Amino acid sequence: VTALEAVATALFGALAGILSGLLGVGGGIVMVPYLGLALGLDQHVAEGTSLLVIVPTAMAGVLAHARRGRVDWRTGRLLGILGVFGAIAGAQVALVVPPTVLRRVFAGFLVLIGIRFLRRSLSPSKDVGAPAGE
Amino acid sequence: MLIGLLAGVLSGFLGVGGGILMVPALVLLFRFPQSAAHATSLAAIVPIGLAGGISFAVAGEVAYLPALVLSTTSIAGAVLGARLMARIPERSLQGLFGAALLLAAVRLAL
Repeated sequence: VTALEAVATALFGALAGILSGLLGVGGGIVMVPYLGLALGLDQHVAEGTSLLVIVPTAMAGVLAHARRGRVDWRTGRLLGILGVFGAIAGAQVALVVPPTVLRRVFAGFLVLIGIRFLRRSLSPSKDVGAPAGE
Repeated sequence: MLIGLLAGVLSGFLGVGGGILMVPALVLLFRFPQSAAHATSLAAIVPIGLAGGISFAVAGEVAYLPALVLSTTSIAGAVLGARLMARIPERSLQGLFGAALLLAAVRLAL
């Protein structure tokens, strides 16, 4: 590992962390391409490494949010428990199948949802939802 | 709650946390405010990432040194991101999330 790689990796970690804490995502979407393209890791290794980093990152983020009363633990727990089964299944599939087609389908889905969020953000009258737990 | 299962599959499959699926579900289906959806999504991501990460680790598909370096700064970043949220109005947060989804879509399609 060169000094440049170490500094770049630290910077990408910080970027992924900020995105994670602010946007409620894991940060894998920036880490996987970085690990694959910049560090030259194999796609599977990049995904596995990203998942490991996501754990302490999300933990730090959720604790910071919980202090401010933003976490709905009941819903989070339910999603998390079901997600565990999904994650194990997904990982088994990923380890044997090239994910190109699924990725493209999912990308199309994200474009639709992304546009919807942008429109909500710009529309003057749409409600932004009730407070958590109500 | 199929959303949790789907988020998990996606997470294990693509090496991501699943938040890009859970946040929209919480906001659009469960009417969560954007900020609460982001925070709650993170709570679910912890066990999901753990399960996926262990699956890959068992298969020997993990690079520990980069993981360690990334984690060090990403933990600090996450706390900073959570603080930053208080300064951003719900509506702008929605816009930011929407933009992030579009970027994620581009990255996935390539």
